[in-house]
Amino acid sequence: MSRLEICPRQPEPAPASDLAALLGQVARGDHRAFELVYAELAAPVYGLVRQVLRDPAQSEEVAQEVLLEVWRTASRFDPGRGSAAAWALTIAHRRAVDRVRAENACARREQKAADPAAGEHDVAEVVAVTLEHQRVRRCLDGLTELQRESIKLAYYGGYSYPQVAQLLGVALGTVKTRIRDGLVRMRDCMAVTW
Amino acid sequence: MKASQDDLHVLTGSYVLDAISDAEREEFERHLQYCPACEAEVRGLRETAARLALARAVPPPARMEQRVLAATYRTRQVPLLPRDQVRAARKFPRRLGILAAAASVAAAVALGVSQLSTQHQLDRARESAIARVVDAPDARAETARTSAGGSVTVVASAALREAVVSTTGMASLPSGRVYQVWVISPSGARSAGLVHDTSLLASAVVPGDRIGVTVEPAGGTARPTTNPVAVVPV
Repeated sequence: MSRLEICPRQPEPAPASDLAALLGQVARGDHRAFELVYAELAAPVYGLVRQVLRDPAQSEEVAQEVLLEVWRTASRFDPGRGSAAAWALTIAHRRAVDRVRAENACARREQKAADPAAGEHDVAEVVAVTLEHQRVRRCLDGLTELQRESIKLAYYGGYSYPQVAQLLGVALGTVKTRIRDGLVRMRDCMAVTW
Repeated sequence: MKASQDDLHVLTGSYVLDAISDAEREEFERHLQYCPACEAEVRGLRETAARLALARAVPPPARMEQRVLAATYRTRQVPLLPRDQVRAARKFPRRLGILAAAASVAAAVALGVSQLSTQHQLDRARESAIARVVDAPDARAETARTSAGGSVTVVASAALREAVVSTTGMASLPSGRVYQVWVISPSGARSAGLVHDTSLLASAVVPGDRIGVTVEPAGGTARPTTNPVAVVPV
């Protein structure tokens, strides 16, 4: 049975094209359009940054920087190269990961190394169970355990692939390959088109 | 040690998840420019990663909104030119970022239509080098007014150690005089070339350097001989 059949297709919460058009207005200095962009992106940006950084105060600070960067560089967004959400979330993830690596937060590393799944629950508690969430969960469930853990540690945990290899006790090349083929499988499962 | 092409291709996933080192990212981004298949895969995987993020959305504290909105009034934006002009200037739409196009269009318009033909004679290698800087993920833009009118914009990438310098609206000079661009570091100033009709590419530029523009005798000089009309930090 195809996974797609059990993933209900319903409208996205934020129509992607609207967000792209709004960003075009933001690039022209439209503060009102930015308020609408903020309304769409603040929760995904904050949620992602918090997932990686875990510390709420730090996450708030970084999320603010990211959203301001969206304002500052809206002219660099090219709707021909991807969705507006992916553009903004790429900035957000990169910033969060840069912060983690710059700090080299040993305590956090050790804690998470002991339990790679730790940190998921505190955030998950406040996550509204959205349609997107269900779809992602179903598709994640369709991966092999190694694919799933590699992707979660890298994306949600902010770990580099050598760190992921160490945490999971597998070879570097294996992790690189599993991250890639796992993401490709996610892409196909969620019917991502770009 | 250089990674083989196959090794690089398998990095698409780790690149999208920011799970690679800065050095690997630099190498991979160079590879991306010559690998349309990798670029296409990166786009799809980026959208996929975005879904992973959307699934973890959490509303931020309410106080954040006013802070961010207030900050937008103090934060200058990376400029945008009318889209038709940008499109017209885009010879390589995928490679050439809006900024490079905008900057060269602005420069060409400022210097008059007669020089537009020169614009089209741009050496391709140089143009793609400029596009690479402007499209670099760590590219930062700074604009400063010049005392000769108009402004100078510097887009720099610390990872690539290169900067693109564009001027617009500066006063025309008497014959026998030119605008010359300098990379100013603690060890002194070295020439990055003369201002003609398009953007200039300055190499071996590191954070902390400054970009200066001076008026010099035709042909340029080895060292600046006048006070700069503008200095822009990198």
